[in-house]
Amino acid sequence: MLELDAVTKRFGGLTAVRDVSLRAAPGEIVGIIGPNGAGKTTLFNVISGFYAPDEGRVVLDGHDVSRLPAHQICARGLCRTFQIVKPFGNLSVEDNVMIGALTRLPAVSAAREEARRVIALCRLEAFAASPARSLPIGLRKRLEVARALATRPRLLLLDEVMSGLNATELGEMIALIRALHAEGLGLIIIEHIMAAMMRLAQRIVVLHHGEKIAEGTPQSIAEDRRVVDAYLGEEFVLADA
Amino acid sequence: MSRHALPIVVFGGSALAPLVIRDGFLLDSLVLILLWGAASGAWNVAGGYAGQTSLGHSAFFGIGAYSTALIATRLNGSPWVALVIGAAVATLAGLIIGYLSNRLKGPYFGLATIAFSQVLLIVASRWRAFTAGSEGVPVPFRPGLWTLGFASKVTWVYIMLALALGIFAVQIYLERSRLGYRLAGVREDEDAAQALGIPSRRLKVLAIAVSAALTSACGTLWAQYVGFVDPFYVFSVDLSVRFALNTIIGGIGTAMGPFVGSILITSLETSLRATFSDMRGGLVGIYLIIYGCLLIIVVRFIPQGLVGWFGQRLRAGRRHARA
Repeated sequence: MLELDAVTKRFGGLTAVRDVSLRAAPGEIVGIIGPNGAGKTTLFNVISGFYAPDEGRVVLDGHDVSRLPAHQICARGLCRTFQIVKPFGNLSVEDNVMIGALTRLPAVSAAREEARRVIALCRLEAFAASPARSLPIGLRKRLEVARALATRPRLLLLDEVMSGLNATELGEMIALIRALHAEGLGLIIIEHIMAAMMRLAQRIVVLHHGEKIAEGTPQSIAEDRRVVDAYLGEEFVLADA
Repeated sequence: MSRHALPIVVFGGSALAPLVIRDGFLLDSLVLILLWGAASGAWNVAGGYAGQTSLGHSAFFGIGAYSTALIATRLNGSPWVALVIGAAVATLAGLIIGYLSNRLKGPYFGLATIAFSQVLLIVASRWRAFTAGSEGVPVPFRPGLWTLGFASKVTWVYIMLALALGIFAVQIYLERSRLGYRLAGVREDEDAAQALGIPSRRLKVLAIAVSAALTSACGTLWAQYVGFVDPFYVFSVDLSVRFALNTIIGGIGTAMGPFVGSILITSLETSLRATFSDMRGGLVGIYLIIYGCLLIIVVRFIPQGLVGWFGQRLRAGRRHARA
């Protein structure tokens, strides 16, 4: 269970995230949407331990983790992916995933086995031996997810893993997320692709200028006047109707 | 040709060479090839496997060299004791520099390490009461194993071979162990490594400390071999650059790279020095020019180094043979 309690993050005079509170129950899929610069990724950086919040608290399973470094947050079962993917470029896909698995499984042989399992789950088998830098963007996004999954998180933060995918890849990614969710994994997803978001998220949080302007079911968000004005636009409402 | 062939040829060849070679100059070259290979391998632990490209590793080499020179002259102590004390001091120095420069990346980290080695140079050359200052310290020759004094260069070949094999083993460990894989993650992308649960700062400091201790051990044995410690040599940027260049030319982040680089560079240097030493004038330094040209060629055309390049050719050849 993750709880954000009135989190604020400033960079100099700019307040990137202001007074944001949210909760993610175990096994829930929460979506975060908002225009570019709304503070979505900054919020992820605060939750995952890359930034400490200036005000407010991040509470994971009852413990205040606001000041913990990223690697300790991962050890507590919360892992994140990066919007701008960060593969270990010179290493093979299998080694990439195995480095994630080594966090839970100290023996290299066990970690390699786990990496193979996760690679199969994410359908990356054909590329297991390829250097990560040789992958096209769609597969890099999938590798990003595979590597995070190998750390065996209970809560996974996905930062735009669906943008830039073609229709087939998008369908596969949605199927993968659903399968993970069915196994009990909780997810917080940042995404611009509203069609995917409407299908996946149980609850959507809308950020605008660093503030939470709405929260609710996908249907209620799509009909929310402020959200339509700030982000979705009239066309979305018409297309959806 | 398997991937074991190269280490077997290099280390096996070094072990057998003294049985046939009697020439003092060639044996001296072999001792230096193994020593500079080992020191470059020690550099590779931080510079190659952990991606911490230090240009100040002469600091640790100098600590090891001064450790034995001072312990021998002041306390009449054993170089083995000096080896341990030097490694301990170098570890401490590595922890300090690693901690202080933790957030620095790329060239900034390199500059910080250069500054560190130059601070030690100033201390060693000015603090006359402690180090004898800029004239340096002779290491007394005391025959025997406990005092590491051997008239025979053959003995030195085997001592340096043991050192080289030890450092080779450390590198192999880093290629296969959890620690090594996690360091590779830190080297490739520190943010991603942290997100995956890797304590990157701690591992970087650890890699620098281990690298420092190994480099110091090389410094101690080198001082015992040559018998004189000059602060302007052991703490020089030249020496730091040598460790890095051997490794880059041979293949950074590969266990054999530092040794292949050392074979090429050290033998080139010793032979050019011998060739041009009769001549008057500035030709003695010509190996530096060749050194520089080689580096440019390697970085421009085979950035993965000789070991990586040959490995790729071999794999390509095998694919071709199968097809």
